[in-house]
Amino acid sequence: MAHKNTYSLSKIDSLTTRVLWIFGIVSASFIVLISLFITVRGVRPFITDNNGLGNVDLWRFLTDTVWLRGPTFVSTAYGAGFLIIQTLYLAFLSLLLSFPIGVLTALFIAKIAPKPMAAMMRGVVELMASIPSIVFGLVGVGFFLPMIYNLARSLGQQSPGGNGTLGIVIVLAMMSLPTITAISEVSIRAVDQSLEHASLALGASPTQTRFKITLLAAKSGIFSGAILAIGRALGEATAVSLVAGNARSGPNFGLFSINSTLTSTMLEGLKETTGIDYDIRFSVGVLLMIVILLTNLILNTIKKKVGNVHV
Amino acid sequence: MKEVFYVENLSLYYRDFAALKDIQLAIYKNQVTALIGPSGCGKSTFIRCLNRMNDLIPEARMTGCVRFDGEECQVSGYDVIGLRKKVGMVFQKPNPFPMSIFDNVAYGPRQQGLKNKEKLKVVVERALKQAALYDEVYDRLNDSALTLSGGQQQRLCIARALAMEPEVILMDEPTSALDPIATQRIETLIEDLKKEYTIVIVTHSMQQAARISDYTAFFYMGELIEYDKTDVIFSLPKHKQTEDYVTGRFG
Amino acid sequence: MSRRNIAQLLLDGTTYFATLLSIIALGLIFVYVFREGGHLLSVNLIRSDYHARNFVGTLREESPGSFPIESFEGDDLFPVERYGIVLQQTQDLAGDTVIRVYYVHEASPLRQLNNQDPTTNERTISLQEGMILRRVSYQEHPTSLTSRGASMMATDMNDSQREIREVLFSLEGGGIRGSVITTVYLIFLTLFIALPFGILTAIYFNEFAPVNKVTKLMRNFIETLTGVPSIIYGLLGITVFVPLTVRLTPASNANLIAGALTLSVILLPVIIRTTEEALKVVPNDHRWASLALGANKTQTTFKVVLKQALPGILTATFLGIGRVIGESAALIFVLGTAIRDQVRIFEPSTSLAVHIWSMMTDEPANIALSSTIALIILLIVLVLNVFIKVTVWAFNRKGSY
Repeated sequence: MAHKNTYSLSKIDSLTTRVLWIFGIVSASFIVLISLFITVRGVRPFITDNNGLGNVDLWRFLTDTVWLRGPTFVSTAYGAGFLIIQTLYLAFLSLLLSFPIGVLTALFIAKIAPKPMAAMMRGVVELMASIPSIVFGLVGVGFFLPMIYNLARSLGQQSPGGNGTLGIVIVLAMMSLPTITAISEVSIRAVDQSLEHASLALGASPTQTRFKITLLAAKSGIFSGAILAIGRALGEATAVSLVAGNARSGPNFGLFSINSTLTSTMLEGLKETTGIDYDIRFSVGVLLMIVILLTNLILNTIKKKVGNVHV
Repeated sequence: MKEVFYVENLSLYYRDFAALKDIQLAIYKNQVTALIGPSGCGKSTFIRCLNRMNDLIPEARMTGCVRFDGEECQVSGYDVIGLRKKVGMVFQKPNPFPMSIFDNVAYGPRQQGLKNKEKLKVVVERALKQAALYDEVYDRLNDSALTLSGGQQQRLCIARALAMEPEVILMDEPTSALDPIATQRIETLIEDLKKEYTIVIVTHSMQQAARISDYTAFFYMGELIEYDKTDVIFSLPKHKQTEDYVTGRFG
Repeated sequence: MSRRNIAQLLLDGTTYFATLLSIIALGLIFVYVFREGGHLLSVNLIRSDYHARNFVGTLREESPGSFPIESFEGDDLFPVERYGIVLQQTQDLAGDTVIRVYYVHEASPLRQLNNQDPTTNERTISLQEGMILRRVSYQEHPTSLTSRGASMMATDMNDSQREIREVLFSLEGGGIRGSVITTVYLIFLTLFIALPFGILTAIYFNEFAPVNKVTKLMRNFIETLTGVPSIIYGLLGITVFVPLTVRLTPASNANLIAGALTLSVILLPVIIRTTEEALKVVPNDHRWASLALGANKTQTTFKVVLKQALPGILTATFLGIGRVIGESAALIFVLGTAIRDQVRIFEPSTSLAVHIWSMMTDEPANIALSSTIALIILLIVLVLNVFIKVTVWAFNRKGSY
């Protein structure tokens, strides 16, 4: 950086640097702190006897299809395997809904809308991005659940109060929509105009150009938006837990069946619990962080592969 | 000689700024026409009038008349897409699409609805051969076009335009981003292409205009100062401004 | 029309349709929340307690008189001349039908009641205007209940055959005062911690940090915080900040300080990034001009550079306020979900967002009041968005001179 001094700093400056460095190092250490403390507490149920109840079996925890076999506060037979699958399933299913809508909205804002309208639409996206998740959950419960309930009934299906997969997917899709739209829009706007002109000069129509060239050239950025949206969907807690129905066994895939995620299970019954049933939530938290981390890693690897090959 | 384009009283304004003033010229079939002049003289704007790429600039306003194959092509209702199919364009910087070499060349025909794989193969091969690129890429047509060198990319862009089997190819400073060897290959290519195509080329280099063109138009401050056979422009210019420019006294 | 044209129309149509869906999604949220919760929105809501305090009282003298009551206009008003009060049929803040005391005559015997609630020490309690009359029991007569309406209750009370045995009334509940105060506390505490911390960190990275691998690693660590879900921050709060505050402060359990510390960590990456972006825009000329005048780097940074980064810091503040108001998952863990009317910073409490969660996970869920709170949150978010836009706009305009 150009403005960095090359001459030696004065005494006061080196003191300032040292003091500010402390702030920097503390800020940087929070992620370490989070990982460390939560892992320590999350591992505890597996390696202690939990006040005489016996330790939680790690393999069962990772693979079982029932949240808790046996009575609460007595049994330690916890299983979160189905939660991992459900969490991923719901996040990707919601992306199926939010991705096309978000990308096409971005395309409209960046390429079709006249300036004032584009500015307005950007405002819409920003506003949507700043709506807290609890509000999405509320609208999910109040607006979508009755609709889903009626829909299920009219299709001759059972749906307990409308809770479950479809509700979660809709809420998550609405929440990740602004993320996908905003990031896609930036990368669509960044597409080299000469590519689009080349396409038009070849006699392609503006529509063909937008879908064949613009979106193709912006795909890396669009993919990043999708990765971010998935991350957000995997970690979303309150809104999901309000519409999930909190299935205690699974995996559930049906659109009208009740469902649950790692986060909704962490929140379920939090008000009235202690002991192992409380501590196990930290283990689920650790699991959630690992799932998010791995998903990000895998998707970023795919992104790099896809980014380099043009077929 | 047959006129492909006939331009009459063409003026173009960006808001209040006149980028082209009352241009009048004809572009002849199977000839290379070079447009020269200092930066900002309007030569690029002019070339973009020929395939109506200036339509993309909302503030641009045009008066006058451009005839393509005898038909006025600047009126509303004229088939712009049809015009652009017949008038190909190569841009200043090589701009291959982020897809495979094959898909780049096949892009134009595909957008026109050509789906048959065998036919596409024939079209792509012919275009690449015409652009003198086939020998260098025939074994890696499915590689990304972005793996090619700059000069190869520009020839790919020419092949992409040729795949549409146009009548005219517009080239907007096609060699300005290339090294001398790649430039020379493109120039040779232009010589070859002249037999089948009409070429309009914008260039900054007087030598290039002198080497490859049959006709040269000198633009200055949005006006067409002089338009004649290339040897006339370079040996016996009628206007002092032209002489000053081609002899390198300014610009 | 050719098949190609139809395909294109379809593509264009899909694009417009997708955009329309995005707008509808936003519109739906606002319309729904307003329709469900708009009618409860009032200043009273923000001023009142959530938990209604109940009073049980008996009359001191068994001889009610007659109290002339001036005429009150309104279909929902029912005078009780025997006791000098006027009853109003209305809804409480949570949307339930209740009977509110609209007027109490100065000499009304209901102003001086014997307290029958053994859990409090007060001897005398009094029925006041604005209170909710829940139940009036009589000697040897059926009790008047809220569910039968104000009209019926007024008729019963005016009946000279009946003698009141016991009156049950309460303050109007369903207010959100406690949660509003908690949210305000959290905003100030969090910004008080996070702003200086974030700004100083941003200054370190943009002005003082050496360009090397360690700095890059530190930056990456901070950037990673953005991707951590808020529920995980909740776990952090309960394992680190709650024990920490319990040890260092009078707090004995979850408390607002721990909540604010947790929120500070959530805000940190946002504040650092926004501030740094503002610092980057400050032209180097200004730094050099100051240095050339003999100022040292510390003076230059804090007197010249930081001043120009003010719009960025302001934006960070607005973003931070929005995040604090909206945060729920982390606070559910750190602060609990018990709604309080008396807020103390060393005790647990609920913010507005957690207030919603608390009511939505109750049986039955109170959607009306939840929507009202959501509406308040949305309005604040809207205003914050406008503030951010204005800040950016004002800054850009100033910059163009």
